[in-house]
Amino acid sequence: MIGLLTVLIFLPVVMAAPTFLFGKKRTNVAKLLGVGTTATVFAISVIIVVLFQYGYTGFQFTDTASWASSFGLNYVVGIDGISLPLLIIATFLCLLAALGSRDMISLREPEYYALFLLFETGIIGVFTSLNLILFYVFWEVVLIPMFFFIGIWGGPRRKYASLKFLIFTYAGSAIMLFGFVALYAWTGSTGSPSFDYTTLITRAASLTLPLQVAASLATFVGFAVKLPIFPLHTWLPDAHVEAPAPVSVLLAGLLLKMGGYGLIRYNLLLFPAADKLLWPAFTAIGLITMVYGASVAFVAQDLKRMIALTSVNHMGYVLLGTFTLTSVGVSAAVFQMFAHGLAVGMLFLMSGYIHEHAGTRNINELKGLRGKMPTTTVLLILGSMAAMAVPGFANFISEYQVIQGALSVAYLYGLAILAAALTVGYFLWMLRRVVMTPPAGPKNELRTGPLLILTAFLVPLLVFGVYPSPLLGSAIKPTVDHVLSVLFPGGR
Amino acid sequence: MAVFGLLVTPAGLIRRGKSGIGVGAYAGLAGIVIALVSTIWLGFNGGPPILFGGFQIDLFTYFFAGVLLLVSLFVAISSFDFMKGDPNTAPYFGLLLLSTLGMIVLAASMDLILLYVGWELMSVPTYALTAIRKKDPNSNEAAMKFFVLSALSSALIVYAISLTFGVTGSTNLQTIAGSLATITPDTRSFALIAIVLFVAGFGVKMAVVPFHMWIPDAFEGAPTTVSALLASGAKMAGFAAAFRVFIVGFSTINVDWYSTFAIVAIATMTLGNVAALMQKSFTRLLAYSSIAQAGYVLIALATPFTVTTVTREPLGLAGGLFHVLNYSIVKTGAFVAAAAVATRLPVNTLDSFTGLGRRMPQTAFNITIFFLALAGVPPLNGFFSKVMIFTGAVYSPFSWGGYLAVAALINSGFSMSYYGWIIKRMYFDDPGDSSKIPEPKAYTSVMWIATALVFIIGIYPDPWIRLVLSVAGSL
Repeated sequence: MIGLLTVLIFLPVVMAAPTFLFGKKRTNVAKLLGVGTTATVFAISVIIVVLFQYGYTGFQFTDTASWASSFGLNYVVGIDGISLPLLIIATFLCLLAALGSRDMISLREPEYYALFLLFETGIIGVFTSLNLILFYVFWEVVLIPMFFFIGIWGGPRRKYASLKFLIFTYAGSAIMLFGFVALYAWTGSTGSPSFDYTTLITRAASLTLPLQVAASLATFVGFAVKLPIFPLHTWLPDAHVEAPAPVSVLLAGLLLKMGGYGLIRYNLLLFPAADKLLWPAFTAIGLITMVYGASVAFVAQDLKRMIALTSVNHMGYVLLGTFTLTSVGVSAAVFQMFAHGLAVGMLFLMSGYIHEHAGTRNINELKGLRGKMPTTTVLLILGSMAAMAVPGFANFISEYQVIQGALSVAYLYGLAILAAALTVGYFLWMLRRVVMTPPAGPKNELRTGPLLILTAFLVPLLVFGVYPSPLLGSAIKPTVDHVLSVLFPGGR
Repeated sequence: MAVFGLLVTPAGLIRRGKSGIGVGAYAGLAGIVIALVSTIWLGFNGGPPILFGGFQIDLFTYFFAGVLLLVSLFVAISSFDFMKGDPNTAPYFGLLLLSTLGMIVLAASMDLILLYVGWELMSVPTYALTAIRKKDPNSNEAAMKFFVLSALSSALIVYAISLTFGVTGSTNLQTIAGSLATITPDTRSFALIAIVLFVAGFGVKMAVVPFHMWIPDAFEGAPTTVSALLASGAKMAGFAAAFRVFIVGFSTINVDWYSTFAIVAIATMTLGNVAALMQKSFTRLLAYSSIAQAGYVLIALATPFTVTTVTREPLGLAGGLFHVLNYSIVKTGAFVAAAAVATRLPVNTLDSFTGLGRRMPQTAFNITIFFLALAGVPPLNGFFSKVMIFTGAVYSPFSWGGYLAVAALINSGFSMSYYGWIIKRMYFDDPGDSSKIPEPKAYTSVMWIATALVFIIGIYPDPWIRLVLSVAGSL
């Protein structure tokens, strides 16, 4: 019996072929099929959200099938409270990015929408697969369309950026794959070797410390490149700046979350002994990444580059929160991914629209935006407020709780406040230069369609910012409480 | 006995092939198809291994025969375009079949003498094939280099065989395995020399560092379809011989030849990948990437006997065999694509590939798929064989197994840089002249078949993994 999740995963890739073939004759068909499919997928994910049993801590909607059973590989998918929020933003952001693409992509559309759907299959698969090799397959399926997105539809330095992105992330994945393969081999002596997550989670914990550390570090490299962390982040500004705006939404909103999700799902939950040894190093890297990202964003001249660097800044919170090993910290890390995906997705899409209408993305040249695009300006301010983590937005709750979790571990992590302060600083300075300058040039407002798309990002941010408990309290928190109590029976 | 019929079929057709140009080609093609179909049929319905003199026709033979015939089928189909207008079509197809027959004999032999006969039967026609463009100095130079090194490798193998016979008193591999198990210290050193000579002899064909020097020159100089045969067919036959000799014959000897293979594997992968990055010619790049791929199969030879409770058969060995199959399909496809580009565009430098995505969309798309498969991107076929090989390495009882896997994975990650670079050239770079180039039908059909196989094996690898596991068990 084919379950909802399987439909959700494979519907986009199945639709990719007709999108390409029929789209060749008439590009409108490609747009229609692309947007229609993402809308359908979003609708199915809403059904899943409704049917999800909140408070239940195990995996739900599981689907299993024999795939390459002769090698211990099975098709296993399922979601729990940690993957649910990521699944929703994946389908939601794909829909909004596809809608935004209609305005911003005018070159080789059939190929674009076909790759877009392939990407969607990959990203949903990453958040739902419960077999390590299956996870890796989807992980790489995400990578290839992204390489082409940046390389074909990107900006002036697209060739350099795309190749850099491909090499960085592929090398990271290869090292991550070593962790998976090693886990299969090392746990094979205690029973029949398996790549199934649920089997491994019970076995990996009994590995000796050196083996846990080795596997943990190998997977960490793969996830850290995607997240990205401080010394491995250099692909990110290039890729985000050169990618077309809807693709930047996917990159910052979803692709980075793959790293965060992997850190929690695999690094944190598989290797308890390694966690207890390595957490100071990982949290320190998180802290450095936060402060570094914020400092570099200060000097960015390009609006899009600045937004890209906020991602480095904000994903540091995920690393910090995860490896506090506290329930508050880990839950907040998951919630942070949800909130940041929406906020940064909105800002990226907006930067694309602003570029189209104002002709530039340079912060110093974008003078007097309030006169040219008054409604967009309001949205820009609101989006920036979300990214600054102003109370009332979901980002406030997640960032506040990350810092709370970190402080409960050691007072030293009070330094995280520094990153938060810097974030407010560079956003306000950007708004000062872009918005608070005398109006210049004729009015050139966005049409209603784009404005609605941008507003759609704000709705969940505000709803969950004011009332987070449907997601944070009843989905994320119980699951995190449960897995952590299994992981560290005696407390951390 | 039916197997002999199938082995002789191609040989018999050669004579007919010489009667007329067009007829020869079709007869050759028909011979390969008949042989391939009967191999597959016999592989599934054949009973216990057939022993006949020095032949042992078992699942291993069927597997390699199937792979080799598939390669030679690809080469034959694409040769229809490549040899168009060439007066030597019939000898070309005849030599192709003869060489394929040699490879199959190699995979079927259980006796070292017969193995050597197969080796020569495979090699001699390829010298002539490499030089088939008589007026092309590059082709002649390549043939000469190839011939000298190949002759050297044959000599090494003969010497190794004679040493083995001196030590064990037999040329039958199973008898050799029996007497090597109880070897005395005074004859042991001779057995060691024999192992080294076998590695060197087979290594020349397997494209193993440091015996790889001839590969880039020969692949670049030879007609591109012949390069496909050399890169996939001859190389895989070399691996077939190595599997037979080392796994069957020398596995009982109490000498650590495994770690030797591990070191050679790392050297081969690394050199292949690093050198590939610096190439300016597409066929040379393919040549170095094929050296790198040989390194992955060598890992399987270094850590062959890992048995897990799921697979129940040697995992590393099965991974190696699987990689042989996957590599052959992909590499032949890539060389055929190179031939397609070479026949339409005057120069064989990487500049011809600029903007190929617009100029020759089908070829460019297929090259992309082949490259991603070579780099090991899932869900394409190369990924699963690599995972099996790496798992076998980590799982192996050797303490260095994990490091070997790390080295291989770093290599695998690194290899994406030059594959990605070519893809970038084809799709992202702007060609000065973006006019469409008609794509030859024979080439594109081979490419599409290869791409289809890449996806079929990659998306549902289970039957293939079962196949290679039972082949590994039969060895």
